[in-house]
Amino acid sequence: MKEQETEDIKILLLAIGNSGRGDDGLGWKLGDLIAESGFKEVSVEYRYQLQVEDAQFITHYDAVIFSDATEQQNEKGFSFSKCIPANTYYYSSHRQSPETVLYLSNELYGKFPEAWILAISGYNWELGEGLSEHAEQNLNKAFFALQGILESHIRTTVPETVE
Amino acid sequence: MTQKITIDPVTRVEGHGRVTIHLDEYGQVKDSFFHIVEFRGFERFIQGHPYWEAPVLVQRLCGICPVSHHLAAAKAIDQLVGIDPENLSPTATLLRRLMHFGQMFQSHALHFFYLASPDLLFGVDAPAEKRNVVAVAEANRDLAIKGITMRKFGQEIIKAVAGKKIHGILAVPGGVHKTFSQEERDYFLDGKNIESIDTMIEWSMGMIDFIKSYHEANHKFLDEFASFPSGHLGMVRSDGAMEMYHGKLRAVDFEGNCTLDDISTDEYQEYFLEAVAQWSYMKFPYLKNLGRDKGWNRVGPLARINVCDYIPTPLAEKARQDFIAFTGKKVNNSTMFSHWARLIEILHSAEIMREILLDPELFGNDLVRKGEPRYKGIGIIEAPRGTLTHHYEVDEKGMITKCNLIVSTTHNNDAMNNAVKWVANNVISRKGHVTDGMLNQVEVAIRAYDPCLSCATQALGKMPLKAELYSHKGELIDERTRN
Repeated sequence: MKEQETEDIKILLLAIGNSGRGDDGLGWKLGDLIAESGFKEVSVEYRYQLQVEDAQFITHYDAVIFSDATEQQNEKGFSFSKCIPANTYYYSSHRQSPETVLYLSNELYGKFPEAWILAISGYNWELGEGLSEHAEQNLNKAFFALQGILESHIRTTVPETVE
Repeated sequence: MTQKITIDPVTRVEGHGRVTIHLDEYGQVKDSFFHIVEFRGFERFIQGHPYWEAPVLVQRLCGICPVSHHLAAAKAIDQLVGIDPENLSPTATLLRRLMHFGQMFQSHALHFFYLASPDLLFGVDAPAEKRNVVAVAEANRDLAIKGITMRKFGQEIIKAVAGKKIHGILAVPGGVHKTFSQEERDYFLDGKNIESIDTMIEWSMGMIDFIKSYHEANHKFLDEFASFPSGHLGMVRSDGAMEMYHGKLRAVDFEGNCTLDDISTDEYQEYFLEAVAQWSYMKFPYLKNLGRDKGWNRVGPLARINVCDYIPTPLAEKARQDFIAFTGKKVNNSTMFSHWARLIEILHSAEIMREILLDPELFGNDLVRKGEPRYKGIGIIEAPRGTLTHHYEVDEKGMITKCNLIVSTTHNNDAMNNAVKWVANNVISRKGHVTDGMLNQVEVAIRAYDPCLSCATQALGKMPLKAELYSHKGELIDERTRN
């Protein structure tokens, strides 16, 4: 865990997804909710997929939370876990993993922020706007948990995982 | 025994594709197919929506080329409000073109630095863990940083004119909704906050030097790999110059003979048909007069270089002349020269962006114009990957009743299938086994066309690479998965 003063910290929520593909919009929807919540330390940015240049972008922040939809099911409806840099790669350029982006930040720019992955379980990936009912419930749980983390923890400490 | 090798999905292309190679009992290639399994009926989905939503909705087609879809749709929607491209205000035209060339620049940079460069730097037989951008970053840090900076420059242009890097909205029916300030312009010229446009031009020229040197050392590979005769389709101005935003459609055959003589984009339906195949969701467009077998065309950077008479910016035109002199051909049919052509277009895009940024008309206030409403609108642009068509029809309430999209990758469907066939016949056939390097060469051939397969649905946990080997009875006898 890392301690840091509120005034110093700059947090980025990097929301990944596509609101035109059903529950793939979960990451963006979480971004909308956090943006509306008025956390002045938190900037929200949106991406369809993480790209290599995000390795440069995240170096401007002290902490990054990657939020995305996931096919993996979780009892809580979401998972929040520490993101560890890794020189793994995806076969598709348009989908660098958070771990790879973090690794490239250090490799190319010599620094990287602390980072976490907030993955929210989704079910429907077809064309069309709007979340499935179950995904909406998972979103609310994830939002509630993230609010709690931002309000009571991230200003001083951030847990390694929330399950 | 007949074997079927399946590569699913193809790696480092934008979206899902699948390749199957059928071998007979002697290990000789019997047939091969590049299947597109991702397109999911966007044309149907958009019906019933009001026309003014189209330029926004179509951006959801893809996470890589939303700007191209936005602009092609906008051109079509302009016609629905009675405005043809010639009647758009000069300021609106400049702003749309600036956005378009920003997109061209960043998209080509993404493809070359992130997708193609691992193949060129490490070779197609390099192990899988080497053939990716992470390895490029580790082996050539300066190249990786240049790639990132160039792509970022294009994205910053898009952000400046549209408000956001993705989902930015610039175009509205009949024009644009945003002015551009001198401060915004200076941001790209003075080099104080980001690298300047002059630096982008300089780096672009450096990349062309790189590909020329690469060709000198690897000419056999570039000349011969996945080379096959085909038609080429692209847009030109009335004087024959390369054009990306609005012009006439021109096609030539593999020897350079004209097969489509500078037709108006509004007339595309009179000249093109689309065939379907049982094994792919993607259609196969072709020229009516030449028929299904001979009428298909490549589109994209190589095709555009092949169809134009010249490039209307001096440095890129010089690079085009070098390209032609180097190959000694009027029309180039070598798949791998797409990379060289793409780099020339990066330079052209940078030169055009500089021209536009220095044009005082950019700061005008005449943004939107209106005419007599119509029921049909057709917008065609040259997107980074090639000719992109959006066609909408509406009812009296302005609701979309028909939508037809011919995306660049659709035009290249036959070309990619031919590229796969070339590799299957020349690399895999009669070898008795299939190596990882052989499979990668299939992907290299497809990647040269920078296909975009309606990709934007990948959530965490999707996108493995799977190779399957089937017997002639359909039994799975071998499989390989990369994660």
